[in-house]
Amino acid sequence: MTTGRHRPGPAIEVVDLRKTYPGGVEAVRGIDFTVQPGEVFGLLGPNGAGKSTTIGMLTTTIAPTAGIARLAGYDVVRDPLSARQVSSVVFQEAVVDRGLSGRIHLDMHARLWSVTPDSARRRSAELIESFGLGEVIDRPVAGYSGGQRRRLEIARALVSEPQVLFLDEPTVGLDTRIRYELLDLISGLRERSNMTTLLTTHYLDEAERLCDRIAVVHAGAVVALDTPQRLLARLGDGIVEVRVTGDPQAALSRLRSHGLADADAFAVGATLTVPLHDHSSQSILDDLVSANVGTSSVAVRKPTLDDVYLQLTGDSLAA
Amino acid sequence: MTTIAAPNDISARAGSAPPTISRLTALGTLARRRLLLSARTPREIVVPLLTPILFALVIAPALAKMVNSPGLDYKTYVAVGTVGLLVPLSCMFAGIGVIVDRDSGARRELLAAPVPRSLMVAGNFVVALAVSTLQLGALMLAAIARGAKFDATGTGVLWFIAAAYLFATASYGIAEVMANRIPKQEEYVGATPAIAILPWFLAGSLFPIHALPAGLAAFAKVLPLTHALAVMRYGLIDRHATGLHDIWGMSNATGMATLSLVVVAAWAVVLSAASVRVFAKSAVA
Repeated sequence: MTTGRHRPGPAIEVVDLRKTYPGGVEAVRGIDFTVQPGEVFGLLGPNGAGKSTTIGMLTTTIAPTAGIARLAGYDVVRDPLSARQVSSVVFQEAVVDRGLSGRIHLDMHARLWSVTPDSARRRSAELIESFGLGEVIDRPVAGYSGGQRRRLEIARALVSEPQVLFLDEPTVGLDTRIRYELLDLISGLRERSNMTTLLTTHYLDEAERLCDRIAVVHAGAVVALDTPQRLLARLGDGIVEVRVTGDPQAALSRLRSHGLADADAFAVGATLTVPLHDHSSQSILDDLVSANVGTSSVAVRKPTLDDVYLQLTGDSLAA
Repeated sequence: MTTIAAPNDISARAGSAPPTISRLTALGTLARRRLLLSARTPREIVVPLLTPILFALVIAPALAKMVNSPGLDYKTYVAVGTVGLLVPLSCMFAGIGVIVDRDSGARRELLAAPVPRSLMVAGNFVVALAVSTLQLGALMLAAIARGAKFDATGTGVLWFIAAAYLFATASYGIAEVMANRIPKQEEYVGATPAIAILPWFLAGSLFPIHALPAGLAAFAKVLPLTHALAVMRYGLIDRHATGLHDIWGMSNATGMATLSLVVVAAWAVVLSAASVRVFAKSAVA
């Protein structure tokens, strides 16, 4: 660990951050990224990729094994109180006192984050209205629906006007309608404030919709970091997806040897995914037919972040 | 819909540590939260009181009829002894709140708050102490209503209060350690009798420790409850300090009471420090 001296600069700064749990499990294997003030940054990866461990280290609930992490210039190891003062977290699971009302939750957060009573009242009133919590705010949280509880947790995190907001899988476990309502709400925050947001998710649409930049995390390491548009552009304008009946690896090798597939083509199970780049889907199919490779389905479509992730890791985000 | 104001620019805040809440205000806020939670689960306050009240109202008077103890009001003797059951039970029940916080409460939100984490333990402790005080008051009133006779001076009451609070501090320390070390609430509840009730039988609650076999009597002298009860009785009913004499074998009552209070205080300090340490370790992976 290096100095925890506070200095202006990035909102989040992570340098060679590592976490090895007792027993030798390497959850995070030296990740680096920097998030600028006002940016919405996504950590995208499947369960177990190290996203939550990274958030845990940034929010000082998990001790890093090595590396540096700073929030608004405050080192999370050397100056954890300052790092916590400038940040708020919305956790993956419900973190509420079920017996207490929503208003008490907002009030407690405001007090602990040193918000003056006047500011707390004004801010709470704004958030209660903005988040549609007016009808339930004085009821015990135990009676809230999943969506109401999530909205309350986000509102609570915003009472202190954090410089850095962490959203750890904010929509996981919610039904589709509530999920989309929340995405709309979070994207509203994005439009209305200059707060820096670090979001973890394994939902591709969420990352694409909300994030300025995305770090794709796989097995504790960042395997790609760019804007969603640039990540998608890696695979060109279109891809052909072919389900073959023979050996998919042999078919892929053949396409590569004939110059019809580049290094970014990949096979998962019996399905070949081939970015088209300068080739046509017909030329690829013709080549497979000429090699007597059977195909059971063919689809030409635009690339998605799932394709990017599969190409980068050979894994599925749904894993 | 109103708009949400943008936070200040980061560079505008840079340059020095951001202002954080004072420790006293943070402690007050955390204690208030615990108090609100406890108030919404009255069983946390009432249930630990049931057995001791039963002792004070029914069992102690019944035993007093059977026990021939010249110069000693056995009802009163047992009433003070019952404090040694009430306080650990109350503190162990408070420990359940710690487990609920961890498993399904807002503990992670508090861990992410800009306050020293030791204050989370302190906030719970303050409320546990307040609840124990209420319960002690209720117990004493019940005992007096049933005919217990205390022979207390102002100094005697102070001895009682000091011993009771230091013992409560030690008891809450154990509860906090156990709550943070034991993974499941069921296991915690299962372990409660061993911590809260078993020592009570050995610590001179119902009979003097000299009535115990020598080995158990020696063991009893190590227990903080034995010392706490002896000091409490010295303060309220036992002017001759017979309980303290059973422990120390000395003749200076004030000296023995001071020594016993130091023992209880030492337990309180060690267990409080352990509770903060165990909490900190369990809170950060």
